[in-house]
Amino acid sequence: MKEMTTKDLIKIMINLVVIYIAGGAILVMVYAKTSPVIFMGDKEEKEAALRKMVPEADKIEVLGTWEPHQKHAEYYVARKGGEDVGYIVETYGKGYSSYIHILVALDKNFTLQKIDILSHAETPGLGDEIEKDIFKNQFVGKTLEHIKLIKVETKEDIQAITGVTISSRAVTDDAVRNGVKMLKERLKVKR
Amino acid sequence: MTQSNWQIFKNGIFTENIIFKMAISLCPSIAVTNNLKNGLLMGIAVWFVHVMVGLTVSVFRKFIHPRIRIPIFMLIISLWVTVINLILAAYARDVYKEIGLYLQLIVAFASLLARAEVFASKNKVTPSFMDGMGMGIGFTIALVLISFFRELIGQGSVWGWEIVATKPLLILILPAGGFFTVGLLMGLFNWMDVKFGKAGRHH
Repeated sequence: MKEMTTKDLIKIMINLVVIYIAGGAILVMVYAKTSPVIFMGDKEEKEAALRKMVPEADKIEVLGTWEPHQKHAEYYVARKGGEDVGYIVETYGKGYSSYIHILVALDKNFTLQKIDILSHAETPGLGDEIEKDIFKNQFVGKTLEHIKLIKVETKEDIQAITGVTISSRAVTDDAVRNGVKMLKERLKVKR
Repeated sequence: MTQSNWQIFKNGIFTENIIFKMAISLCPSIAVTNNLKNGLLMGIAVWFVHVMVGLTVSVFRKFIHPRIRIPIFMLIISLWVTVINLILAAYARDVYKEIGLYLQLIVAFASLLARAEVFASKNKVTPSFMDGMGMGIGFTIALVLISFFRELIGQGSVWGWEIVATKPLLILILPAGGFFTVGLLMGLFNWMDVKFGKAGRHH
């Protein structure tokens, strides 16, 4: 290839500047158009997930925010006909290879009604067994004292999935227990 | 170059089909083709990027300094990939959740850089557009074929509609099954080429 002359250098510079500006302008336009739609979609999705947690509620309101693992999370009160029927806590647990994003539904007496794993990036085929109902359903009807992971067969507490101890522990001892604890403490102070 | 636009178009679908003939960009052809919907949408996304990259590169082909053509091609490719990425994230959320990761990987597609370098940077706008169309449609057809067979045989359904209640051959929706399907279809394409392609040339 030929030696680069000053002319070449200037041309290259103009090339890059023009491409950056033109490309940037196109991206700005597309982003301005799509980002509100994406934002609304995210919001709707979250609302749908919340409704699924307490199906009988007709209104779900944000009560406050908290920071599990420095992440932004909210907790909600579920109402039906103006009366509180339960609470939902959004929480995160530190798993084997990711933060596990979880929703926990409780009734008025802080008894667990349901948990739902929203997202995680645990090992496929192993860590993702935490999504299975047989694990999740163990939480139904448990109170704070019994949200602890045990590696042997148990009915009173939460039994770990074989080979998935770290992810099971993240869900149980980290995400759910801390979430419920937080909720109890904050609501007691309020009342 | 004396190829007509129609020949250029056909070229992308048959003679130089990205997956069955050139055997590049195989990563998505295995990763996202376990059902028809994902396969089709991935194909259309790549089609869009192919056409837009072909057009852009060809419009600016005299303007781009040869020394920095590769970085500029990459910028153009990533621009259009980001555009389709945002559009799908906004208007096709369900699909985006499943193929989103692979959409971003379109940036690294060998076929895009290859067509920009080999074709669009040397040809006028119309042939470059036809080339992009041909390559894109060829890729889409390939992905649709692969995902159709994988979904049908692996899950017993087509486009999510159940055809048989069981999963006839589960391995086909797993990654290994993707390789089998691509290999078999590639063989079929080549066999058809030998059988009918030659006969066509004799006439």
